[in-house]
Amino acid sequence: MAKSIVVTIGGIESSFALEKLDRAKLYGRRERRPLDPEGRRCERAELTRDGALLVRSGMTAQGYFDGDGAWIPNRDLVGLDRDGTPLPQVPSTLGVAQPLEGPIPPEDVLDLAVRTVYVLAPEQIDPALAAQLQAGAAFRFAFNYRADYQAETAVLVANDAGVFALVGRPTPPPWASIDLPAPASFDTTEDQDELDFEMF
Amino acid sequence: MRKIHLMNEAQRDASIAMESIPEAPSPKMGVPGKTIAFHRYLAATEAGLHATLLATHGDDLAQALVDGDPEIDLEQVGRLIGDTTPVYLSADGGVLHVSPQLVDVLIGPDGTERDRKPAGDTPANINELDPVRVAGKKIAKSEAIARFAFRRTVAIRHVDGLTYDFLHAMAKQLADEGVLAMLGAGAKGREPLVFQENGTPYRGFLEGRVDGPRYQLLLHLSNLELRVPT
Repeated sequence: MAKSIVVTIGGIESSFALEKLDRAKLYGRRERRPLDPEGRRCERAELTRDGALLVRSGMTAQGYFDGDGAWIPNRDLVGLDRDGTPLPQVPSTLGVAQPLEGPIPPEDVLDLAVRTVYVLAPEQIDPALAAQLQAGAAFRFAFNYRADYQAETAVLVANDAGVFALVGRPTPPPWASIDLPAPASFDTTEDQDELDFEMF
Repeated sequence: MRKIHLMNEAQRDASIAMESIPEAPSPKMGVPGKTIAFHRYLAATEAGLHATLLATHGDDLAQALVDGDPEIDLEQVGRLIGDTTPVYLSADGGVLHVSPQLVDVLIGPDGTERDRKPAGDTPANINELDPVRVAGKKIAKSEAIARFAFRRTVAIRHVDGLTYDFLHAMAKQLADEGVLAMLGAGAKGREPLVFQENGTPYRGFLEGRVDGPRYQLLLHLSNLELRVPT
């Protein structure tokens, strides 16, 4: 079981157990299944370009290799910046008290590109924080589920159903002005790929 | 850049542009000072899959794995896999030479099958004859952020002077009201937004921000309410 989210405001700690929320848990899901002519379920596989190998589920793996074709173990990989300089590892924030910032304006929450949503079960909650959350306030804190090379931002919100943490990365939108119209061309393949909403 | 056909509350419509808002790139994984590449490779042949090994060795599989490496084909494993062509295998394991029938199976939150029907295509609906429009419902920003998870936002952009005026006015009205306007597609403006054929349907919420002559008209997309699963 994952450690708790622990936050602090005004010197008072609150902690929450977390469970990931996704669409399947709320609404169920739709599976598109291929059937053979007898109505039995098919399996999707792949054929290599030379036709020599039929690749079925479970037959492949992926990883990093150096120029000599030697496999690089994951433990040897580190995060690099654009210049190739190693980045410091960001530790997990779970179980470690994180200062809450806020209340923050709704626009800051709307500018967060949410990747993960957690339902939070309060284990211990500051009554003043609970009251502010129920009144519609949102608070920001640093979040990192596991140690890696990039911290994320979480926002704590609540409604009548419960308390939630929205985790993502702040992505402030650009301003539009009269002298900066959108390009008139609408039909480039590159731009269509940019909006692949199935990738979510 | 893609188009969206948008109608305002005064029922004036225009075809305008939208673009995704780029996120800062994630750090690249690597080894300092070394050039590395990411590859997909063959980890097992069909004879090395668990089901095949079990069929071959039966109850002796564990011992066979201790005694040797029956799951590894030294001639094949490690081979890099480049471009491939998708194929379907019938339930018997043979290559299917006709297109499979596709069915959509609806599975409830409890994991049980609820319905099954022939698969149909869902067309995109954001740049059609019927414009995407303000569905009439507006919601305070503070309420919206506590009710919906917004997975993605696209920026609505003008393409000329006329559409600048159109969008700036929309953004200003929404900013002044401090609300998000729910958008809907289809003839009655009640359908969720589908950005590409068979794409995920999203509820769209339009937000406006204005800074003098500059504006942000942002279409926030959500397909997830903030609720606790039962």
